[in-house]
Amino acid sequence: MIKKVFEKPVSWIERALFLDFIKGLSITIRHAFRKTITTHYPYEKLTPPKRFRGFHGHKVVDGNEPQPAFDEWVARFNIHVQPGKSRCVVCQLCKRACPVPELFQIEGEKLPNGKRVLKTFNMNLMLCTFCGLCVDACPVDCLFMSDIHETACYTRKDAILDIEILEKIGKDWQLRRENEPDRIWIDDAQRKRLWYENNLSFLEDKR
Amino acid sequence: MEGLVANLIVIAIKIVVILLITLGIGAFLTWVERKVAAHIQRRPGPMVVGWHGLLQPLADGLKLLTKEDLFPRYGNRFLYYLAIVMALVPATLTFAVVPFGPEFTLFGITVKPILTDVNIGILLVFALGSMAVYAIALAGWASNSKYALIGSMRKAGIVVSYEVVITFAVMGPIILAGTLSTYSIVQAQIEQKLWYIWVQPMAFVVYMFAVLAEMGRVPFDVQEAEAELTTGFTVEYGGMKFGIFPLVEWYIEGLALSAIAVVLFLGGWSPLNIPFVGFIDPLFFLGPLSPFLWFALKVALVFLFILWLHWTLPRYRIDQITETAWKVMLPLTFINLVFTAIVAPLIWR
Repeated sequence: MIKKVFEKPVSWIERALFLDFIKGLSITIRHAFRKTITTHYPYEKLTPPKRFRGFHGHKVVDGNEPQPAFDEWVARFNIHVQPGKSRCVVCQLCKRACPVPELFQIEGEKLPNGKRVLKTFNMNLMLCTFCGLCVDACPVDCLFMSDIHETACYTRKDAILDIEILEKIGKDWQLRRENEPDRIWIDDAQRKRLWYENNLSFLEDKR
Repeated sequence: MEGLVANLIVIAIKIVVILLITLGIGAFLTWVERKVAAHIQRRPGPMVVGWHGLLQPLADGLKLLTKEDLFPRYGNRFLYYLAIVMALVPATLTFAVVPFGPEFTLFGITVKPILTDVNIGILLVFALGSMAVYAIALAGWASNSKYALIGSMRKAGIVVSYEVVITFAVMGPIILAGTLSTYSIVQAQIEQKLWYIWVQPMAFVVYMFAVLAEMGRVPFDVQEAEAELTTGFTVEYGGMKFGIFPLVEWYIEGLALSAIAVVLFLGGWSPLNIPFVGFIDPLFFLGPLSPFLWFALKVALVFLFILWLHWTLPRYRIDQITETAWKVMLPLTFINLVFTAIVAPLIWR
């Protein structure tokens, strides 16, 4: 059954006294004297949520690797593990998961003692759609996506991440945000400022 | 001979002061408008250039001046440039008959703070106001662009309708004051101890609507209707030439019409009014400066009210606008005229 819904017509008295105008004007004037809700972008920046899909990075070996997966993969490929270097085990699963596989250039190297180690890991982010499939595929929690989203650059060359940049991003991330709870909305002060009027309850408030 | 020279010097000073005030404040009002619009939308607006973006008009002007000067291929170059002059000059000329305050004596010379106290001041205002439509029609025609032409046609239609309405709306105050001179109208209000808004509320509302239409403000901004006409008749103008049209239409003309509204309905430079009893002046401590401040305050309030309307209301369709003008506003002004004719003898006494 179709329910017929009409607009409530404006009565003649309302029209003559501009009551509909006054209703709208009262709303705008109330908003005009409230606090602004914007961020002054280049001077203030919001922290994206932890699951934000920004530039990629490589987490480094620091003793917090997912176990037993990491040890299993290391044993399987006979990887030479260096603390402070990338956790990558050169399994190429990220490249397999990627919708644009030519984005990745991954090469391993065999050391004289028979162990293997990562040699090159280049990502051409010009081709990347930031879908996050490579991150899901990574078995050792090495490849991840950081909160770096200001990715404008002067040349195309700057869009290619090599292993040094990836490790740098990873170290920076592990220093800053590794211990954050893995939720989409975290309780940082900046975002609380954005939503202060919605009466959301934050963890901090309950504490 | 000496009297003539002194007069000429006084007039020259008046012209310079009025030009500085109108063009300076006109540029500054772009900042005011952006701030008001921003805060209504919960944004801070310009914040970077100067304290709270106070130097933003200067930066905008510099940017507009350094832009490339483009001209549409089959446009009419003479009319294209004439339109700018036709827009700027009448709007600025309107300030010649705006009285800023009462007479005062300075160094033994009596000065009226009005450029020319002609006895047909109000008529001059509306004659110059209708000149604005030439500028817009010429701009639309000379640009050789369909958007510009449609925009200018719409604006011409609105202005033609609302010129009639505004003229009949101001008839009430003119009858009550018994004069067309802007200076004398204010003096009549002070002598009768009555702001004409108390007896002419309907005329005031109609006048405000007509002002919105003449300024091309929301809800009557169909001539620029950015969703359908990009920016209307200014589409083919670039750089400072583009900057002058909104400056004139929105700020200088808006300021002039707000000032005329204050003169006609809100008692010009007189302080707060209790009808038929007298005036209360909370700013008495400023002495001779208080009338000027009152005038500035009232004009600012009327102008801010127009801005507030602009950033609240949606846009009417062109047929609704002209329909309102001819079918609602014009009969209302006729009723108001009849009412005025009944009330006038009581007020004249």
